[in-house]
Amino acid sequence: MRRIALAAAAALMLTACGSGGGSAGQELSKEPVTLRFTWWGADERHKRTQQVIDLFQKKHPNITVKGEFKDWNGYWESLATTVAANDAPDVIQMDELYLASYAERGALLDLGTATKHLKTADFDKSALDTGIVKGKQYAIPVGLSTYAIVANTDLLDQFKIKLPDDGTWSWDDFKKAGAEVSKAGGGKVTGVQSFGFDAGSLNIWARQNGAALFDVAGKVAVPENVLASYWTFIKDLAKSGVSPAPSVTIERAGGPLDQSGTATNASVFATWWNTQLTSLSAASGSKLKLLRLPGESQASSPAAYYKPSMFWSISSRSKHPAEAAVFVDFLANSEEAANILLTDRGVPANTKIRAAITPKLGETDKAAVEFLDTIKVGTAPRVTPNGASNLEAIIKRHTEEVLFDRLTPEQAAKSFIKELQTEIDGA
Amino acid sequence: MSALGELQRMRKGSRGTLGVAREPKKDNKAAFAFLLPWFAGLLFITAGPIAASFVLGFTDYNLIQPPVFNGLDNWMRMLGDARLHKALGVTLVYVLVSVPLQLACALALALLLDKGLRGLAFYRSAFYLPSLLGSSVAIAVLWRQIFGADGLFNQVLSMAGIEGKGWISDPDSALSTLIVLNVWTFGAPMVIFLAGLRQIPAMYYEAAATDGAGKWTQFRRITIPLLSPIVFFNLVLQVIHAFQSFTQAFVVSGGSGGPSDSTLFYTLYLYQRGFGNFDMGYASALAWLLLVIIAAFTAINFWAAKFWVVYDD
Amino acid sequence: MTELRKLLRHAGLLLLALVMLYPVLWMVVSSLRPNNEIFRRPGLILDSLQIQNYGEGWNALASPFGHYLANSAILVLACIIGNLVSCSMAAYAFARLDFTGKRLWFAIMLGTIMLPIHVIIVPQYIMFSQLDWVNTFLPLVVPKFLATDAFFVFLMVQFIRGLPRELDEAARIDGCGHARIFLRIILPLMLPALATTVIFTFIWTWNDFFGQLIYLTDPEMYTVPVALRSFVDATVQTSWGSMFAMSVVSLAPVFLAFLVGQRYLIRGIATTGGK
Repeated sequence: MRRIALAAAAALMLTACGSGGGSAGQELSKEPVTLRFTWWGADERHKRTQQVIDLFQKKHPNITVKGEFKDWNGYWESLATTVAANDAPDVIQMDELYLASYAERGALLDLGTATKHLKTADFDKSALDTGIVKGKQYAIPVGLSTYAIVANTDLLDQFKIKLPDDGTWSWDDFKKAGAEVSKAGGGKVTGVQSFGFDAGSLNIWARQNGAALFDVAGKVAVPENVLASYWTFIKDLAKSGVSPAPSVTIERAGGPLDQSGTATNASVFATWWNTQLTSLSAASGSKLKLLRLPGESQASSPAAYYKPSMFWSISSRSKHPAEAAVFVDFLANSEEAANILLTDRGVPANTKIRAAITPKLGETDKAAVEFLDTIKVGTAPRVTPNGASNLEAIIKRHTEEVLFDRLTPEQAAKSFIKELQTEIDGA
Repeated sequence: MSALGELQRMRKGSRGTLGVAREPKKDNKAAFAFLLPWFAGLLFITAGPIAASFVLGFTDYNLIQPPVFNGLDNWMRMLGDARLHKALGVTLVYVLVSVPLQLACALALALLLDKGLRGLAFYRSAFYLPSLLGSSVAIAVLWRQIFGADGLFNQVLSMAGIEGKGWISDPDSALSTLIVLNVWTFGAPMVIFLAGLRQIPAMYYEAAATDGAGKWTQFRRITIPLLSPIVFFNLVLQVIHAFQSFTQAFVVSGGSGGPSDSTLFYTLYLYQRGFGNFDMGYASALAWLLLVIIAAFTAINFWAAKFWVVYDD
Repeated sequence: MTELRKLLRHAGLLLLALVMLYPVLWMVVSSLRPNNEIFRRPGLILDSLQIQNYGEGWNALASPFGHYLANSAILVLACIIGNLVSCSMAAYAFARLDFTGKRLWFAIMLGTIMLPIHVIIVPQYIMFSQLDWVNTFLPLVVPKFLATDAFFVFLMVQFIRGLPRELDEAARIDGCGHARIFLRIILPLMLPALATTVIFTFIWTWNDFFGQLIYLTDPEMYTVPVALRSFVDATVQTSWGSMFAMSVVSLAPVFLAFLVGQRYLIRGIATTGGK
């Protein structure tokens, strides 16, 4: 038994040998090459992506790309396992929450070494910077999105309530507008669906208060009193009936998009990423409008920011880094590919591509692009530090504790900072 | 002497009456032949990964970089891990409440559906159907149709004038909905009970009937003792299974074990540590703690079995 | 009086069945609804039939859904054969033979199912990837032929121990060896246990997500549970109608398997005589 144990442990040590960002061989092979490419998503994305793969293979007859699509949860289990076994796919769709966790541990290729095949000239520097970890470009942003309020104008018309002016409104105005709706909605419709279950809302709140969730070094930097005010506001929304009862709020926040209050026309205001407007409009069948965040005009500098919807990255242990770079270049820069993908992975971060596809978009997608183009943003927050990949789960749990009076906002603030910092220190 | 007594004597004294004493000699050779596939599986498939997880329990292993030995750190960390303690509590409640409830339902329905009723095939299949769905993705959505804010349960309540809530998303009731979900899938143990009932030789009942024993006596003196090995099997396996319960809580809570950790099953927490936080060393240690707990419960079950399980050998 | 009692019994059972089947019915109804009505409309009343969901769901992924059904069917069949053969052999040894260290081996067997799969899967994946078995059915099937499903070994042990021992002892007096006793006496008598094994292996393999997700990387190899999950993304609008339609389609074979299998559950010793 002991011998088996040692042998097994030895095998693990051997397989997990990569210790950091290999570099891309620059020469393309003339031999047939097979790349594995993995992404998460729903059926629509699988279809479009496969078409892009087919197109790429036509242009590069010696490269075969095998697409491996997964659902979100399965994706991360599967990716972690394959990376552990030194068997990771070559091209990896990456999320902001996990980027540093994989990059800092050496699982991703430094794309700076692949510039021969992978061009980034058409990207804004601020967008590209979101893919930088510890000074190296480990990932290329695919799409950009920004946090916004989605308002159901059909319901507002029905209740004869005026659409608030999103150029000047404060969080108080937001609450007042919501209260008006809740009153008119008679229990069936509430003003605000839910707020405070994701990193977007917390980032915005911290930035409007002149703070940041993390400092440059990756330590938790948000002060306790800012966090406490965040949870006080959330609790206030629930207590005053602006948002539904806690259990209902949590249910809607935790469910898939189609079951949210916005999608089922059960609430008028809700926070979303601007790129979700199309999905929400289709699901609700109502007229929805993107509004700028409350409190922006009171804040000293814009708290809104561009968040990459996802990234392209390459495994550091890929046997064909040059070909993988060629493929990522195609995904990121080809107008033909973009014409197929459109906004499925968010509004393209590549500005040239964005301009090229905009005329081809539907009405709601156009609205989302326009919103993104016109909003005032500050510099993007630091990438989620290594070890904090469960950030959203921690936020969500603390919001639940506050809503159900198990923690006061002050206790939640203390506990949140302690837990999150412990996770980062442990990584 | 009653026929029933005769029968029991016959069963107890079977070896004597047939005149074959059990050979003292062991059947090592035959046993090895029959166990060959199992031994091979143990050696080549099961042992390695189990041993590896044991070793990893003493390391800091983030899945991407090689594991680093850290002695008893993981084990010391468990003492101060509040979420682990919460998970232990949640799991224990779940095991102690849902297993007896599920088995009682399964046994009751198996007895009802054993024979003597029209449409048995239909009922059996109808009661089994939920078990087929129990671990699918659809269950998250389906369960919300029952216990969600707009679900069936609240509609029934509102007819009685009671205002409902989102039962799945309230920390006071979330675990109960998962217990109901587990009871709802009683089809699996029910099927095993049905199979067990069918294996009881009809002659025993015939003998009892000639003896004038009523249904209740037959149930107590034939069905229960002869079914006891199967009840025992279901009990042992359902306890093990309930301790490892994962999919339903994972799917229904979206992987969080929420709201506010009220459905944080042990394996769900372990999974969050291992895959969500790249903390596989700690997760492995957690797994071995769970193994010790399950083994203890199983040992208690086996010990208690001496008092109520009747074997024919 | 007895008629009335029967009627009451049926009424009770029917009501219970209805409550238990509500979610299933809801799923069937939802598979026939337009996508954006599914969550906006409670209840089971259909006012239009969206049959297209079935066609769209069938063709929504890289291959027609039938491809994933076929993959699952092959996998299930192989696992059933594996479990039937290997587990019944091991069970016979544990139930009827006396050998050195029997209790210890039995404890080890039970112990192997006490560790959660999540910590086993990584070392196991590494092992199978060294063997180059990843993206084949082998990591999912070979273990079944090696009796690694202790659940079924234990199940069959319990059933065999419930069989009257005088049967095989009588056979032994007639000069039968263990192989003959096992094949001629024990196996036929444990038909209900074998049927249970078939039903459970079928359903668990059909529904098992974790192993199939990890080991089958190429969409060509995907099985039903992996395919079904790739319909859903919580952050965008999901084709729920198609997803429910394909869930119904994938539920049908399992349900049929059960309908057929349950007949064998009731053909135990009671009907074969047992003497």
